[in-house]
Amino acid sequence: MPETGPLSLINVSKYFGNFAAVSELSFDISAGQIIGFLGPNGAGKSTSLRIALGIMTPDSGQAELFGTAPSQKALKRVGFLPEERGLYKKMTPRTTIAYFARLKGLPRRIAYQRADELLETSGLGPFATTKNSKLSKGMSQKVQILSTLAHKPDFLILDEPFSGLDPVNQQVLEDMIRAENARGVTILFSTHVMEHAERLCDSIIMMAGGRKVFDGSLEAAYDTLEKRARIGVNPVCDLAEVLKETAFQIQKESFDADNDIQWWQAKLPGTQNAQDLLRTAIDKQVPIAGFMPGEDRLRDVFVNLTGQSNLPIEAAANLESALS
Amino acid sequence: MRNTYLVFLRDYLGYVQAWGFWLGLLSMPLLILFGAFVGGLAASSSPVRYYTIVEDTPLYGPALQAEFKQSSEEMREALQTMTGIEALEGGTTAAAETALASLARFIQIPAPANTLEELRPWLLGDRLISGPDGEKSLFAAIIVDPETGDLQYWSVDATVSGLLDSLNRTVEDTTRAQFLRARNIDPGILEQADQTAPDIMERLVRSDKEAANIGAEITLADRAPRYIAIGLSYMLWFIIFSAGQYLLMGTIEERGNKIFDSLLTAIRLPQLLAGKLMAVLAVTVTMFSAWFLVGGAFLALGVSQMPDETRQSIQQIVSAGLDISIVVPTLISFILGYLIYGVIFLALGSLCDTIQEAQTLLSPMLILLMLPMVGIIFALEDPNSSIVAGASWIPLFTPFLLILRIPAEPPVWEIFAQITLMLVTAATILWLATKVYRAGAVHGAGVNDAVKWLKGFFPGKKSAAKN
Repeated sequence: MPETGPLSLINVSKYFGNFAAVSELSFDISAGQIIGFLGPNGAGKSTSLRIALGIMTPDSGQAELFGTAPSQKALKRVGFLPEERGLYKKMTPRTTIAYFARLKGLPRRIAYQRADELLETSGLGPFATTKNSKLSKGMSQKVQILSTLAHKPDFLILDEPFSGLDPVNQQVLEDMIRAENARGVTILFSTHVMEHAERLCDSIIMMAGGRKVFDGSLEAAYDTLEKRARIGVNPVCDLAEVLKETAFQIQKESFDADNDIQWWQAKLPGTQNAQDLLRTAIDKQVPIAGFMPGEDRLRDVFVNLTGQSNLPIEAAANLESALS
Repeated sequence: MRNTYLVFLRDYLGYVQAWGFWLGLLSMPLLILFGAFVGGLAASSSPVRYYTIVEDTPLYGPALQAEFKQSSEEMREALQTMTGIEALEGGTTAAAETALASLARFIQIPAPANTLEELRPWLLGDRLISGPDGEKSLFAAIIVDPETGDLQYWSVDATVSGLLDSLNRTVEDTTRAQFLRARNIDPGILEQADQTAPDIMERLVRSDKEAANIGAEITLADRAPRYIAIGLSYMLWFIIFSAGQYLLMGTIEERGNKIFDSLLTAIRLPQLLAGKLMAVLAVTVTMFSAWFLVGGAFLALGVSQMPDETRQSIQQIVSAGLDISIVVPTLISFILGYLIYGVIFLALGSLCDTIQEAQTLLSPMLILLMLPMVGIIFALEDPNSSIVAGASWIPLFTPFLLILRIPAEPPVWEIFAQITLMLVTAATILWLATKVYRAGAVHGAGVNDAVKWLKGFFPGKKSAAKN
């Protein structure tokens, strides 16, 4: 019998007073993938993850980890980096990592051995016996991440893992996520910074206002967007007139006076792509001065799916702080 | 169980590695040493004071000196009986040392003048008077009116009363003796009369079998269980008091460190609480064990020097403490009492972000803890009094008062009923505290949220927090 996926949420709802933090949320995570759990602050990501791990109980619906309710046995296969994270200040990185590894079932000797390995490979070896209180923020965050990896989990849940890290350490973390995934680990990470998901994910789940707005592969997410391209021509050419017989919808955009270029934006119909537009323009002998194929961005996917841009981020953050 | 043990071990090592633990560990022996030496130190640091008596015929002067001498002798004898040390050279008990030393601190000096006006410069320190301890001002002057025989006690310091107390006793004894002699009665007759008073034979009604073995006489063995119970009751109070602060502060630190979510994916909340409670209990047990070991070692060293009577008394007290009928209910009361109060402290700690916030909660908790103290004071007087018996049914008092009532042999059904009451209370408080702890640790609830939540339990009030 094939093993069930690491995580399923089935019609999960969670209310804080009258506020629906999560509303009828359902999704399944397939093994071996990197999944981005996206949405602005206050979208219900952290609450959903805490429900998935049994830290919170849902008001309705259920969470299943490896096919069962989030039991201690199932949780031993999970590594979790919470959004609100910290360390015991008087412990050292070595004892911290070993402590969490032991809590996850590793014998003492192996837990310390694993802690030493991880500290060495992550470059924290020289700080292994430094008190956590003396570590920099970036180092502390590394120790927290290593603590989630020490017991070699099958499923990693990282809640906003990139927040608080500088660009160099963000890259280190991205590499680490890829390396863990290459080892066969399923990784679900939440973020409100779409660029990380664009670089890392096989598939994404998008949340807004406690509800799921998208669940699928990155390609499927981009397919929800209308494709566009920008084409710059000599101002004497009326591109809309030239291409009026084609399937492309052309709109005047802006005029670059310095370079004497008129920019036009073209909406590409479902079957056509930017190359088709360029080829058609050449065929019609359009005096092309510049061409920019439209970039697919997850941020645009989110805006497109929710009709919201920055509004929910601020509103949700305010609501979250009011509740806390 | 393993994870509970790991939490226990981490917390325990965390506490015992902190300097505060060692400070606490050393504080008790230091306090005892301080108590033992400070008395003697206070007495020896007390200055030698000169006094004088102005009287036509020497009467109270010699009598007062005799009073000082006799008191000193009595004190010395009592000390020798207690310690078995023949020659009282060094300090033994702080109280006796203090008393002995203070008696020797008043020295009578021949009066340099005969009236208060004339004595005033010496009393005010304008003039000094020579004596065995060098030149000093006069501390007090006692002037006997030659006509009425009334005494006036003049001093520049009303706070030191030792001389005046001795004078009162001396005057009482002297006038009584004078009174009897004036009637041709030997003052010694009072002492003789005292000796004719019949002895009060204090006996305990025992079963025939017991009486055949140990007789009816009341010994220390009969009273020892009560002393032990009092000691244990105070010890429980002290453990709860000190452990409560550990639990409160430890939880605040954990909340501040934002570590709960990581922990709760590895361990269940009840296991986490159990580990924490056991760790703090182990810390206090470690502390007490160290104190007992040090105390026991000193006792063992001193036991060979003690008279047989004292040695037997110690043995009786120790064996009373090991009596199964005391040990079992005491142990149960200890565990349940610690559990009841411990989880309250844990729950409160989970609601606080700062030590300042916790301090506002500590005050009501201290009042709550002082209430059993009142019960303990009543129980010291009479463990069977109706107030104590009634108060022992108040769950928060039960652990302390049941321990105190055990030596008075309350009905067995009461013991079982009160143990059951403690179990139910502990389970209820544990349930409530787990809810509060979860709200604090998982949902970040604060003190106000908890109050709203608790209000929801009362009719007409609606719970604000759903979790």
